[in-house]
Amino acid sequence: MKLKQLLKMILINISQNKVRTFLTTLGVIVGTATIFMVVAIGKGGEAQVNEQYSRLNVGTIMVMPAQRGRVADPLTAKDAQLFLESQNIAQAFPLLRGNGDINYENYSASAGFAAIQPGFQESNNLVVGQGRALDEEDENKKNRCAVIGAELANTLTDGSPSEIVGRSISINNRKFEVVGIYNRVGDSGSGGSYDDTAFVPYSAGERFLLGARANPTIIAQARDIDAVQSAIEDITASLNENHRAGGAEQFRILDAGSRLVAAQESARTMSMLLLAVAVIVLIVSGIGIMNVMFVTVKERTREIGTLKAIGAKKQEILKQFLIEAVFISLAGGVIGVIAGFLTIPVLKYFELPALSSVSGVLLGLIFSVVTGVFFGFYPAMKAADLSPLEALRYE
Amino acid sequence: MTNSSNCVIAASNIVKVYQNGSEELKVLDDVSIRVLHSDFMAVLGPSGSGKSTLMNILGCLDIPTSGKYYLDGLDVLKASENELADIRNKKIGFIFQKFNLLPRLTALQNVVLPLLYRGIDEEEAMELAREKLTLLGLADRMGHKPNELSGGQQQRVAIARAIVGSPELLLADEPTGNLDSKSSEDAMVIFEELNRQGNTIVIITHDVEVAERVKKLVYIRDGKLYENN
Repeated sequence: MKLKQLLKMILINISQNKVRTFLTTLGVIVGTATIFMVVAIGKGGEAQVNEQYSRLNVGTIMVMPAQRGRVADPLTAKDAQLFLESQNIAQAFPLLRGNGDINYENYSASAGFAAIQPGFQESNNLVVGQGRALDEEDENKKNRCAVIGAELANTLTDGSPSEIVGRSISINNRKFEVVGIYNRVGDSGSGGSYDDTAFVPYSAGERFLLGARANPTIIAQARDIDAVQSAIEDITASLNENHRAGGAEQFRILDAGSRLVAAQESARTMSMLLLAVAVIVLIVSGIGIMNVMFVTVKERTREIGTLKAIGAKKQEILKQFLIEAVFISLAGGVIGVIAGFLTIPVLKYFELPALSSVSGVLLGLIFSVVTGVFFGFYPAMKAADLSPLEALRYE
Repeated sequence: MTNSSNCVIAASNIVKVYQNGSEELKVLDDVSIRVLHSDFMAVLGPSGSGKSTLMNILGCLDIPTSGKYYLDGLDVLKASENELADIRNKKIGFIFQKFNLLPRLTALQNVVLPLLYRGIDEEEAMELAREKLTLLGLADRMGHKPNELSGGQQQRVAIARAIVGSPELLLADEPTGNLDSKSSEDAMVIFEELNRQGNTIVIITHDVEVAERVKKLVYIRDGKLYENN
């Protein structure tokens, strides 16, 4: 019998038992949707990690207080200077970050600000689009000037950012003159986007915005990737020497490379966990398919006998029941993939990053077909092996 | 077997023994039967006489314990499982007591099945099936499913399915067993007409009225075949 006619016959058989077929496919639907989502979440997590760390050089080392809030013996700009004494460290900048109200004429925004030294701009790829960058003179004179992110400039001027250059804004009620606007950089790492941040000279920020509360982070750059470990050791030594009270213990030293690895690892663990769930669901649903196929074979025993009597060969009966099982599971797979697509917005709503992908669709469908073949084979074999005589006699 | 090629069926010394625990049950005891082309034969016997077993062996659904069986010159006992399926498909047309139509398929789809298993092109097979159904007066019933047809109509669909592939032998097992007398009469008329057209027909039955209509009658009792009662 040709495949087209066989498929027709199988469709007629399946459509006769719609409810049973649907119930059988449910497990496959869930399993396939899970596999699709595993891939989607994996891809989403990967994309998120990559994006978060895309602007972070793998040689970057962050030194920050181990606890939030006030610290007895905080880091200072001087620590950054001391770090530079190490041969393994190419750059080290103190960075202060905070949140506050930023006002310009009638517009106000609740945004982040950052106090930086001039070198921070290059090492973070901050490029001035209009006006000028912060420079050494601003730093030395504690100039109350600011370069703001493109998004913040847009918000404050209601869409005509260029007018703000040369005008003054207030950050937490302190006046700063806007001297430039950075080009858009997109999302950055933790602590909000640079596009939505006002940057001021480190010295000015320390003095006018944070004062005694100043509790900076230091961002250091190892000479190269191989120097990261030695650089961390040097930083630890320096902290132990200069912060007698608690030494390096009171600070966290993070390097971008190991953070990246950790983030990737946790994303992978999540994926493997979900994949295990999906495989279990598919096995269970496969057993369901096998059960239903056994019942179907039993029900149609006399029909199988008739088919054999009019000339159906063993392999044709096998093919018919196997394709029927695969058809059921593949239908479940297709519905599962569609369900997976529909679930992605829900995942996004709960802030789980998920990206649909061709590999997710293929993997889901392949798994559903494999389930059908694997669990459909034994019942189909039973059907094919029936002796025509016994089958015809079956009541 | 010098003259086996003239015969549709040439079976000799067929013995069939069933093992029932330690007990041996000899269902067919040295049965020899010969059916020539265009024969119209009935095997008459009561239930338990071994006639169903004979029918299964003649229909290549079962294999005898010993004996020889040539169907249209082919040595059936040497055929593989797939070859037997081929023989059933091409050489034999079955007509069952309970019709054995596939319930989810229409009359036309049922009739076309043997041709599809033969690998014949669907269009061509459909054409042949329509022709046979029309011949049997079911032109307006082709799209109906078995449960939408009367018993007599179902049996005619089954007959159409049996003859659609032009087999050497039509093998009917109690073809009137599930029919009322009117439909039984119709079925017998059809068999007579088919025989007139040259079809070889063997009917297995316990119905004496059926037996009276055939050209050649053999009796089976306790596993043995007799030419006359």
